[in-house]
Amino acid sequence: MVTKNNLKRTNEMIDYIIIGNSAAGLAAAEGIRELDKRGKVMILSEEDFLNYSKPLITYLLEGVVSLDKIYFKDKKFYRDNNIDIKLNTRVKSIDIDKMFAISTDSNEYKFRKLLIASGGRPIIPEVKVVYENTYDGSQSENDKNIEGIFTLTTLKDSINIKTYIEKNKIKKVSILGGGLIGLKSAEAFLGIGMSINIIELADRILAATFDRQASGIIEKRIKSKGSNIYKNNTIEEIYVTDGKISGYRLKNGRKIECRLLIVAIGVIPNINFINSGALKINRGVVVDDYMRTSAKNIYAAGDVAEGLDILLGENRNIAIWPLAVRQGVVSGINMAGGNKKYNGGFFMNSVEILQIPTISMGLTNIVEERGKNIEVLKDFNPKKNTYKKVVIRDNRVIGVIMVGNIERAGIYAGLIRNEIDISSVKDNISREDFGIINLPVNYKKHLVIGEGIEV
Amino acid sequence: MKKIYIQEEYCIGCRLCEIYCQVQHSKSKKIIKAFKEEITDILPRVLVEEIGYNSFAIQCRHCTDAPCVEACISGAMKKNKNTGVVTCDEDRCVGCWSCIMVCPYGVIKRDLSSRRIASKCDLCVDEDIPVCVKNCPNEALKFIEKDENKENLVRIKNGNQK
Repeated sequence: MVTKNNLKRTNEMIDYIIIGNSAAGLAAAEGIRELDKRGKVMILSEEDFLNYSKPLITYLLEGVVSLDKIYFKDKKFYRDNNIDIKLNTRVKSIDIDKMFAISTDSNEYKFRKLLIASGGRPIIPEVKVVYENTYDGSQSENDKNIEGIFTLTTLKDSINIKTYIEKNKIKKVSILGGGLIGLKSAEAFLGIGMSINIIELADRILAATFDRQASGIIEKRIKSKGSNIYKNNTIEEIYVTDGKISGYRLKNGRKIECRLLIVAIGVIPNINFINSGALKINRGVVVDDYMRTSAKNIYAAGDVAEGLDILLGENRNIAIWPLAVRQGVVSGINMAGGNKKYNGGFFMNSVEILQIPTISMGLTNIVEERGKNIEVLKDFNPKKNTYKKVVIRDNRVIGVIMVGNIERAGIYAGLIRNEIDISSVKDNISREDFGIINLPVNYKKHLVIGEGIEV
Repeated sequence: MKKIYIQEEYCIGCRLCEIYCQVQHSKSKKIIKAFKEEITDILPRVLVEEIGYNSFAIQCRHCTDAPCVEACISGAMKKNKNTGVVTCDEDRCVGCWSCIMVCPYGVIKRDLSSRRIASKCDLCVDEDIPVCVKNCPNEALKFIEKDENKENLVRIKNGNQK
């Protein structure tokens, strides 16, 4: 072991440095090891935990998974793959010319190849805070440390929220933001019997992929259990009593008591440590089909990157687990000298609210597109409370919403990914029991007879 | 690896594969007991699709690049590096349905019988031949190894590989 001081200026060259210890980072490490068993691999993580699955943090909150099962690679993973893992190591900046990264504790890490897989960080809105009743008068308006307000994007957040709920015996939670994280949080809180208030800026929850009808089914269900959704709304003022949140005022004037607020209005790529101009950056780090950034020997993958969206035909940030894993593998293989192409992806999401499962994927809210023929097929069954919507562009499925019944949802994902012409089966495609047997004959053969049959 | 291949033209839609699959994944593994006492809880992991005279039975294809493994957020869905079999570790599954969202065959189901978990074909790893194949009366399912060129079939007869 070297002491911390000795580490300050290490000249040791690391073959592969990976910033980020989650889906993309670890998949990349595995990708590297497919081709290079011996090169030095180092992962830098700003967090305090060995790997854990980010999407599981809401399941931890719900008690569906325990702390010891939140790891998605087993503990031997680092040793088995000969990976040097540095925890509590936040990268402050990277020098893309001299090829080294500097951590906030001033250590220098030289690399031959670098992967930026630093994920996303939560967006914190500016909200006016009103202090009421502060007994010792010491709380100043600049003190941002208000108890009872959390974001939920890391394991630490999840543990803190769980502890806070237990300690303060909280039964009701407000969630600012009805998007992906907001809804996954809602799933967890409702699962443990708490009631919720969701505050959403748009006219519906999960606005990115749900339409009003899908959203309506879920909203109705949530409201039937004593919870509430405030749409077209936001928090304009937060009230703080004795250092803790005690309530807030909505845009529509309504005041609501609140002891626990989850801020979930979205995440943005975590790119603070990248000097402006160093890499081509849009919203996230722009990558090509091989996950290479604009700088030589530097790659990016996962929630920080902007990979190809096959439905838009352009790069954009799609922060979901399966794509992070895929991008990670691709980048790892290519860093190790391979030549693997990233074939792009599209957005998808699965969330179950009070026993109503939902899956949405692709472009679900397109009504028209210039020069293209857009068709929208819907199947709503009010008796069973199920809803299916299929959006078709020039005879190809580009978007699907399923509520209540998510059986065989992946068949649609296959149709989208493989750009299958479904004109021959359009009549059946939004049926509740749509299956492989209903698929266009050649694609059906491809699936049934097996790999190797060309579509 | 040996996989189950579908001989669509031989399937008569009898659904014996579904029944034997349910029995195999019951606690008792006895057909009468399973059907009398357990069957409402047991999902068949093979699915017969049927329209008119057209039918076939389909179960997990144990894909080479399995999308369900890639999408799994809990590490429950795994592909065994030696056998190639894709299985769901029910202890670790949290029922997020990411696998259902990505499986292009639609052969993973929600099992709500105890807690929420994903249910899929495990290729009857403890058996020589998966029970759906063994009990198909018309050889509509075959358990064989195809070589790289996907041409030469290693045929199975009476359960013995030749």
